[in-house]
Amino acid sequence: MTVRDDGDDALITAVAGGDREALAELYRRHAPWLVVRLSRRCADPGLVEEVVQDTFLAVWRGAPRYRATGEVPAWIWGIGIRRLVSRLRQRPAVFRWWRRDDVMVSAEDEVLIGVEHGDLGAALNNLSPELRAVVQATVLDGLTTKEAATLLGIPQGTVKTRAARARRELREALA
Amino acid sequence: MTTTWHADPALIASYAADDLDDVRASSLEAHLLSCDRCRQILASTAPRDPSDATWRGIERALDAPHAGLVERSLLHLGVREHIARLLAATPSLRLSWFFAEALALGSAAVAATRTAGTDMAVPTLFLFLVLAALTPVAGVAAAFGPGIDPAYEIGVAAPMRGDRLLFIRAAAVLSTSLVIASVASLALPGFDRSIALWLLPALGLTLATLALAAWMRPIVAACAVGLAWLLIAAIGSVATADPLAAFHLVAQLAYAGVIAGSSLVLIRRYAATEGRIPS
Repeated sequence: MTVRDDGDDALITAVAGGDREALAELYRRHAPWLVVRLSRRCADPGLVEEVVQDTFLAVWRGAPRYRATGEVPAWIWGIGIRRLVSRLRQRPAVFRWWRRDDVMVSAEDEVLIGVEHGDLGAALNNLSPELRAVVQATVLDGLTTKEAATLLGIPQGTVKTRAARARRELREALA
Repeated sequence: MTTTWHADPALIASYAADDLDDVRASSLEAHLLSCDRCRQILASTAPRDPSDATWRGIERALDAPHAGLVERSLLHLGVREHIARLLAATPSLRLSWFFAEALALGSAAVAATRTAGTDMAVPTLFLFLVLAALTPVAGVAAAFGPGIDPAYEIGVAAPMRGDRLLFIRAAAVLSTSLVIASVASLALPGFDRSIALWLLPALGLTLATLALAAWMRPIVAACAVGLAWLLIAAIGSVATADPLAAFHLVAQLAYAGVIAGSSLVLIRRYAATEGRIPS
């Protein structure tokens, strides 16, 4: 793979024209974080690998339809998380529950919370892991109720009630 | 989007090591979407690098041949992938073959319709019936064999019995041929009768070809059976002074006998090979 200096948008345009080197460059730039981010949502490395392959194949096919409405990484993530959901739909649930309740806070980590979230961060951390998983899937990953239900391996109705409960708890915490 | 703020490398490292709580991980993920510099730091610290094998998988998928129209519709109908590929590679299951078949039978049917009520009515009907019985045999002949099948060498080397491949393809060819011939028969005057006339010979000839294929190449078997059929039809019309003698009741009973005999041969052969060679 050769290194290119083009911007992501230029690479997508080249991919749309059938430039495989451009796809290789996109893969080099964006596969690493995609793997890490997907691995946080799926404990099966083999499945993550399949999803990454699916995603870049979808980028290859979908590049002609890409409109530069948002950032390329956000577009790739949107494809990736949906590919993960559809793969999970085909397989028995192998997702990883949002496990960690114990929060280790180091001095430098405090900064990010202060900048990015403030009180909201603390409020989210106070949610039970089940509720936080729902908030993460629906709000932060931007999934629909149905997709979130597949990702988390719970019924759609449960996603709705947990989302409502999470909203209520957050509102109280931030009031 | 450019930001002046950047995540602490230690934070990125603990995220990459999957050692970060959900809230901070989420906020970092949001930042990573818009920050190339932090993505690069993550790429350099990630313990699980996307391997070359993953990329090679992508390239393999890009190089894979696209499924054609026939193969895609077969897959859509729930046919298994390798069967669909084998069927799609059958020379006599191509659209060009269907067109040729439809053209031959269609023009024969049109000729029979045009000449209805004239002196030529019986000869043209005879021509149509002979052709309609012959087309599945021709299809089976062109379904499998060296020089005909583009995937022949692969098929010979594949861990699948040659006769099983022939049966699969013959079944597909036979059913498509029967549909095309039936549609052409609709154009005939009094088509209700003529459908019944060519159906038994067509089945008998095809099964006889398949049964003979145990001892000779399918194309040789098909040629022999086709030739025999033309002789029977010709001799029948000359000897009895009735052009359609080869389609009358006694002849039809003989075809039923051929069907039964050939089926027996095929079943015995299938039972004999079944279990000995993995299918």
